Formats: sequence, C-alpha cells, structure tokens
Amino acid sequence: MQGYIIRRIIGAVFVVFLVGTFSFFAIRVLPGDFATASLGLDAGSANAETIAQRKADLGLDMPIGEQYANWLWDTIRLDLGTSFLTQNSVWYEIGRSLPYSIELGVLIMIVGFTVAIPVGLISAIFQDKPLDYGLRGVAILALAAPVFWTAAIASLVVLQWDLFLIDVIGQPHLWEDPGRAITWYLIPMFAGGFAGTATTMRLLRSQMLEVLRQDYVRTARAKGLRESVVIVRHALRNALLPVLTVMGVTIATIIGSQVILENMFNIPGIGNKVLTSLFARDNPVFQSVVLIIAVFTVLTNLVVDILYGVIDPRIRLS
Amino acid sequence: MTQIADPTLVPLRDPTVLDRVSSGSRSLIRFMRTKPLGGSGLIIVVVFILVAILASVIQRNDPDDIFETPNPDYKANPTVIELARDPDIGSPVLVAQFLEPGSDYWFGTDKFGRDIWAQVVHGSRLSLIVGLGASVIAVVGGLIIGMISAYYAGVVDLLIQRIVDMLQAIPFLVLVLVFTQITERSVLNVVLWLGIAGLAITTRLIRSAVLQVRESEFVLAARVVGASDLRIMIRHVLPNCVAVLIIAFSIGIGAYILAEASISFLGAGPQGIPSWGQMVQAGRGSLDLHPWQTVFAGGAIMLIVLGFNLLGDALRDVLDPRLRGA
Repeated sequence: MQGYIIRRIIGAVFVVFLVGTFSFFAIRVLPGDFATASLGLDAGSANAETIAQRKADLGLDMPIGEQYANWLWDTIRLDLGTSFLTQNSVWYEIGRSLPYSIELGVLIMIVGFTVAIPVGLISAIFQDKPLDYGLRGVAILALAAPVFWTAAIASLVVLQWDLFLIDVIGQPHLWEDPGRAITWYLIPMFAGGFAGTATTMRLLRSQMLEVLRQDYVRTARAKGLRESVVIVRHALRNALLPVLTVMGVTIATIIGSQVILENMFNIPGIGNKVLTSLFARDNPVFQSVVLIIAVFTVLTNLVVDILYGVIDPRIRLS
Repeated sequence: MTQIADPTLVPLRDPTVLDRVSSGSRSLIRFMRTKPLGGSGLIIVVVFILVAILASVIQRNDPDDIFETPNPDYKANPTVIELARDPDIGSPVLVAQFLEPGSDYWFGTDKFGRDIWAQVVHGSRLSLIVGLGASVIAVVGGLIIGMISAYYAGVVDLLIQRIVDMLQAIPFLVLVLVFTQITERSVLNVVLWLGIAGLAITTRLIRSAVLQVRESEFVLAARVVGASDLRIMIRHVLPNCVAVLIIAFSIGIGAYILAEASISFLGAGPQGIPSWGQMVQAGRGSLDLHPWQTVFAGGAIMLIVLGFNLLGDALRDVLDPRLRGA
C-alpha cells in the first residue's frame, strides 16, 4: 500500500511539473509580450530602446533556457514572482482571488451534488417511467446548454421580474456580507451547478441500475430490509464510488466554467485571473494560476486514487 | 466532456458490428425505430447540415446588411430646439435596431439593425466546421499516438501517458484559449487547435482499446507467423478499433462546438465569420430590453450540441452495448 501511495505521489508531482513547464513555455510562445504591450499597442511608435529597457527590467530579455531555470528554481522555493501588471507579489494576487473562486466552486459543487444525487437516484428507481424520462431529458439539455447562455437566460429572468439586484457593488465575501454576496453568487452557482450536474447524474443513474441488479441487493431485500435502507445503504454507497473516481474531471469542468462565470459576473477569482493574465501576457501570474489549478485537479485525483486503493485492493496491484 | 465508463470494457470485435454500420437504409430505419432519441439527434444534425449548406438560400437577408425603418417622428425642416431634443428628427429613416421578431425579421434585428435570423443561419457553418473538423483531427491524431503508446509500451508509453495527464489537469477551456492565441485566429487554425486540445481524451480512449486488442490471440498468432509491427497494427489492430473510433469521433463533437462558442463568447474566437458564441455576448449588452439575439444564438448552440450528443449516445449504445448509459 505504501509503495502504491508513493508511486502515485511521484506521478502527481511529475504531472504538476509538466503543467508548470507547459504554461511557462505557452505564455512565451504567444505573440506579443508585456513590455511591448504596456508601452502602447503600436510597437513602432514606442522607442525601441524603451522597449528593450522595459524587457530587461522584467527579465524578458534573458535567453529562454535561463528564464526557465530561474522559474524552476524560484517555483521550487515557492517564490512565484511579481505581477507585471499590478506590481504586487503573485502570492498576494492569488491570496486575494483564491477565496472568491473557492467560494463559488464550493457553492457550484453543493448545488451540483444536491441536485445530481437525488435526481440520479430517483431516475434509477423509476427507470423508464415518465419521471425518469423527464429528468434524463433535463440532464441532456443541461449537458448541451453552454454555461454562459444558461447564466444569461437566468439573468434575463431575474431582470425581467426584478427579482433581485444582479450588480453587486464592493465584491463582498460570504462571511463579510452573506446577504449581498449570495445574490451575487446566485446565478453563477446555479448555472455552473446545472452544467456540472448532468454528467454526475447520468453516471449515478447508470451505476445505480447496475448495482440494483446485484445479488447483495436481492439478499438485502430478501432479509426484509426496508426499501429505503436497501437503496441508501446497500445500493447508493456502491454506486457513488465510480462517481467519486471522476471527481478530478468534474473539478476541472467546474473550474473551466468558473473562468466564464467569473468573467460574466465580475468575480475577481482565479478564473478571471487566468483570462486577464493571459490577455495581458502577465507571465508570472499566468504561470502561477495555471499551476494552482493543476495542483487542485491533480490533488483531487490523487486523493481519490489513494482512497480507492484503500477500498479496493485490486487497484493497488495494477 | 462526456465521460466514458471504464475504458477497459471496450470489447473485441463483434463481426456483426461493422455489418450493422454499413448496411445502408434498412439499418437506418431500424436505428430510428429502436433508438428514438438517437433518431431525433440525427434529424437535428441533418437539419443543421442542410441549414449550413443552404445558408445563402434561406438567409432571407444578407447577415451583414444594415436595415432601416421609417422614422415615426420625422419632420422635414426641424427647428434647432427640436433637433436638440431629438437629434434624429431630421432624417426620414432610422437604423432598424432591436426590432422584435416578426414576419419581416423572423428573429428580430440586432443593435446595428442586422437580421438575427440571417446571422444565426450563417453561424451554423462555423459550428459544424469546428465540431466535425476538430473531432476528425482529434481522432486521427489520437489513433496514431494511442497506437504507438499502446503498442510500444515502456518509456514511450509512460511519457505519452504523463503528457496526457498533464493536458487533462488543465481545464479544456483554458487549454483551448492558450492554443488559439498562438496563431492568427482563422477558422482553420481554431479547428486545428481544438483538435489538438482534444487529443488527450481520444489518445487515452484509443490506447486502452488497442491494449485490449493487442492481448488477443489473433495478434499473437499474427506475430507468430512473422507479421511486422506495421502490418499487425494496420491489418489486425486497426479494424478491431473501428467501433471505438466512431464512438470517440461522435461524442467529442458537442464538446468542441461548446468550446468554440465559449472562446468566441470571451472574444477570443475565430475572426471574420458569424459565430453564435460571439452573438450571445453581443446581445448581452441589452439583455433586459432586447434579449432576442442572445436567446436565439444560444438556443442554436444548445440545439446543435443536443443533436450531436443524442446521436453520439445512441451510436455508442449500438456499437458497444457494454458502455451503455455511461
């Protein structure tokens, strides 16, 4: 078991290293750089000397190999550098934006799972009944609808009937001003949850159908257990396992939709940082936020894998 | 992205599978009857393909034309005071912006007085090109890489698998955003980059299918008779992976269409061609009073993705019953 865990951790660290390397080179391969962009859009009008000076200040004039070695050494020492755009340290930027993203991400997950689990369960129990068809239909639609459109339509409904104020001023956290923060998060969390739920719900339904046919479920029923106990204790627990194994993918999907939702609703989170740093060619911030996102997904996968290895010994050996 | 159940369940070749795929209209009718959802997906897809091909015929108006409407307040020689109150009073016609859907403009007009119906109709071209093109690239690339990875196990396989892990640790949208920034954002480049971003998933899927086939007895037999690696790959492994290839192709299309719509929505999509994602964004500026551009463009995205997803699900059920419901 220990060997298995160590193997998985080494693999995870290597993947994070690859992601960092990828984002390091990706942002530098893109046409344009911060020095040129910050001195005016038209490179011809800015003095060539000024640009060169600016590049030297930012360390962009060094050979790429040297830059890479520096980045690697700094990152290992957990020094993420200074944002080109704001001149703040990248840790400060992340410290400011990460809470927003975690808030929204957790809310999306809560909405997603509180919808997906009961709905997947009900759909499996009422297999091929009208209720099942209805719920599956909604799930298929949720999977097809772009998250920005769902959010736009929800905003339209809110605006049309004047339900609450969408534009919240001051970017409050949930723990600072719960009332205003929740109205701010309400649409993105439901739009994101709606989109993130469909896959989980469909997977849970098919797993439930599989599990409900198993012998141990029949045994449990034969013992005279109440149907609710059979379904929750015997069937659901086993059907949830495969749902957990795709957690890493689910989280990556949710972060992807957060990039759009944070942009739409002016939430200054990590997803928004990805966009602004990418478009501004703010190398240190971009590298770091992509790295942080990767750490999140890889860590989720790692935890799921290890837990799975604990539960199912066959996995460890493969 | 649609999640595939345990890929190790991909079965060996069922001799009836290919016959079922290739035997023309009779099997089509049976498909429609046994898989009503897949059938409706097929109909949606075919309708969109027809719309894209016939866009110039059914557009009613040119998508770039700006329309005008008579000015109800028009006055021939306004006084200065009247002009100050209403600067448009002196012109007999106004830009026909934000007209409601009606018989003249089926989906209404946008902020610049252009026909939304014409724009939606032309937008289908981009979505179809992106969805189908990117999926072809992802499957062909995934086939080559997946075969190499599975066949030459060892270091090559390990390296490819870690790169695949790396690509999957980055949200698909972020990956696509970065890739498409590298080159000029022409339609062709965007299609290419979307396909490359999708390689991770297809490679993984195809690799596990090849791994399964590689262990089968007929491959062993072929090797015993002295067939070369290349020959085994092409003559023995490839034909037995066709079902997986079709599945990988069909389930990816919806995801690529959504990804293109998303980057277009964020203003980083292909340029110089009507795009639904960009239309949803354009309509958001006046969403409370004039929602039609957003509503129709986004509805079109949902409908086309729905069509491809339903068709893909049904194809998977037919070709590979063991993956059902995944």
